[in-house]
Amino acid sequence: MASTNDPTAAFLEDLATRGHDPLVHQATGTLRLDLLDDGDVDRWYVTLAKGDIRVARRGSRADAVLRVERSLFDGMVQGKVNAMAALLRNVLHVEGNLGLVTMFSRLLPGPPASQRSFLERQKELHR
Amino acid sequence: MSDDLVKILDGNIFVVSDAAGDIEASLTDPTGLFAFDTRFLSKWVLTVDGARLNALSTDDLQYFEARFFLVPGTGTVYVDADLSVIRQRSVSHGFHEQLTLVNHRTEPVTLDVRIDTASDFADLFEVKDALKKKGSYSQRIEDDSLVLEYHRQTFGRETWIAADKPAEIDSKGLRFEVELRPHQSWSTELRVVAGHPALPMHPQGMMKKSPRRTTRAQVMARDLDAWMAATPKLECDSDSLRATYRRSLVDLAALRFEAPVLPHHALPAAGLPWFMTMFGRDSIFTSLQALPFVPDLAATTLRALGVRQGSCLDDFRDEDPGRILHEMRYGELTAFEERPHSAYYGTADATPLYVVLLDEYERWTGDARLVRDLEFEARAALNWIDQYADLQGNGYVSYKRRNEKTGLENQCWKDSWDSISFRDGTLPGFPRATCELQGYAYDAKVRGARLARKVWRDDGLAERLEREAAELKRRFNRDFWIAEGGYFAVALDPDGRQVDSLTSNNGHLLWSGIVDKSKAKAVVANLMGRRMFSGWGVRTLAMGEARFNPIGYHVGTIWPFDNSFVAWGLRRYGFKQEAAQIAEGILAAAEFFDGRLPEAFGGYARSMTKYPVQYPTACSPQAWSTGAPLLLLRTMLGLEPVGDNLVVDPALPDSVGRIELLDIPGRWGRVDAFGRGRVDTARATRRSTARP
Repeated sequence: MASTNDPTAAFLEDLATRGHDPLVHQATGTLRLDLLDDGDVDRWYVTLAKGDIRVARRGSRADAVLRVERSLFDGMVQGKVNAMAALLRNVLHVEGNLGLVTMFSRLLPGPPASQRSFLERQKELHR
Repeated sequence: MSDDLVKILDGNIFVVSDAAGDIEASLTDPTGLFAFDTRFLSKWVLTVDGARLNALSTDDLQYFEARFFLVPGTGTVYVDADLSVIRQRSVSHGFHEQLTLVNHRTEPVTLDVRIDTASDFADLFEVKDALKKKGSYSQRIEDDSLVLEYHRQTFGRETWIAADKPAEIDSKGLRFEVELRPHQSWSTELRVVAGHPALPMHPQGMMKKSPRRTTRAQVMARDLDAWMAATPKLECDSDSLRATYRRSLVDLAALRFEAPVLPHHALPAAGLPWFMTMFGRDSIFTSLQALPFVPDLAATTLRALGVRQGSCLDDFRDEDPGRILHEMRYGELTAFEERPHSAYYGTADATPLYVVLLDEYERWTGDARLVRDLEFEARAALNWIDQYADLQGNGYVSYKRRNEKTGLENQCWKDSWDSISFRDGTLPGFPRATCELQGYAYDAKVRGARLARKVWRDDGLAERLEREAAELKRRFNRDFWIAEGGYFAVALDPDGRQVDSLTSNNGHLLWSGIVDKSKAKAVVANLMGRRMFSGWGVRTLAMGEARFNPIGYHVGTIWPFDNSFVAWGLRRYGFKQEAAQIAEGILAAAEFFDGRLPEAFGGYARSMTKYPVQYPTACSPQAWSTGAPLLLLRTMLGLEPVGDNLVVDPALPDSVGRIELLDIPGRWGRVDAFGRGRVDTARATRRSTARP
């Protein structure tokens, strides 16, 4: 179940509800998320097709696999960890289609502080 | 970079060595094997019986291949050498080097051949800024290869080195004991592979050598032949122009780069050695210049930049939704977020220029499919102009970095600290609304409206964009115009005051179409007058302004790229003769650089120096300098797509003579363009530069 202490589940369930986002309209394929948690693997399948998004707990084939510690992925879905920098640091492992992972990362939010400072600047401008 | 260095490259993998083929880099000099912004070899030194070799000759066979002829000896008194050493090197996920020794004696010899190796695994930013490393080094021997390693936490890089002849391998290199009979030769192939775990570069597999494989060099040679065959043929009276054209096409081929997210498609990287990566601004400008010659570059640029278009707000990366990136890097400092380049978005011009390129691409190629595919990206870019770039709520695009530590202060093409100044030299504060940004935004709206109407079938959007464009043009011609000078201010400062120096940015304004027709004549008189036009080209900043310096990066030098767009602007407003004058000057300068225009050269008067003085640390080859002669060919011939036809309206300098450009690709299939020089540029130049 989605809850504030499980940001990953909350994010993925929100994605499933959204169902569509033009930010990923260039991507087609299935990304398997292997979230590593103390020896356990929590597995999710995210299928992108021209902006349509499907999220599932089961699947068969994947065009790309993203393997990452669950705690790090929690940070990614909260805008605290940048996916590309994490990939370059080698804390995020990709097999298969790198382009699909890049597309998926467009769905991740930016740092909350940046969002707040934008809203403050907007308020300032319209004053 | 000093010019006796030998550079070979393939995308963002490149090798820079001395004339003998050796690499002995200090932290701050850009020699070595580089891949994905990391130096994978900083030492690669060949010795025979403990002694270094001397270069007899060095051949740049192709941009990806070089050959070094070496002999032992002191290098002072020439004695007939009794041993020849040949190194033939080509780039290939690292490089391959065929090392050959030939004994010229009548007796057998036994030689001690050694390659000393090391790597500092420096991030290109560390080489540029002389920073210290934070990780640890080690070496190991695996699968008959010497593996050099670097680790910092989870971050790792490896360089694999091996030979196809038996070698003694130790942690510092490879040694061969070579026995040669009289006149016998010996050869081995050395392989160096750069390993990057995050990218598809798996060294172990690449070290294995199958007996009948096609080498990367052969693939690249075929690819270069195909590239040259597909470009229009230039026939002309001028040998120099022919050589410059060929050099430009080959250099452009060399600077192609495959982004890891879009394999098998190439876009132009910005320049060797510092900028072999994706840059929004440089890739777009170069694609615009090259459109009549290699339209595919534009398609890849648009796709690759679209994949990484900004998707959220991120102050560290100066990212906004819809913003086109400035620069993408893959090195250690980016990985640890000591630099924001993953990707960095601090540029205010790439986003409107993205829409400009998309429209110009469709006008040439008729490829409406790409325009449909990128509708979301183009709309997001247009939205960025209004929603995120208008920092002051005054209807103008301006910039101010949010990452104050490692972000870029100046987010326009003149990005040095002192490039935007008042006449008296005072620097304005931030946000800065530079004038050319308003021109690009205007052009993006006008072109966006055309695409909306023609391809996206959204008349409402088209009408709104046209209304906004007209309104922007009206305000701009009021707020930026300096009536007493007859030119546009380079910027508005945070208080809305005109930053009043005279700059080449006025030429970009002509190119964008934002200039009122009634003002164009005065602008052109300024651009072509003595303070701006040197005889070689238009200076970045006018003589007489406080910060003017003929060898100042953006404050007096002449940029070939800048001039090619100024010439396009002059053509746009009907000033054919003046456009021909600029083409003549820049192409004459190219002859002094063997057809390879540098990033910038000195703004001294042509009548004073007789030759163009190269800017000291200019990058070379650089993509948008390489593209400049191509765009100048377009402006000289007056090539313009109109509907499904290519209109040709030549205005050539008389010194250029006759030009035939054959098989120009486009929506018309392939057509030829002809022109003959009739513009007496020498007379025109004497006239304009003599004017007080």
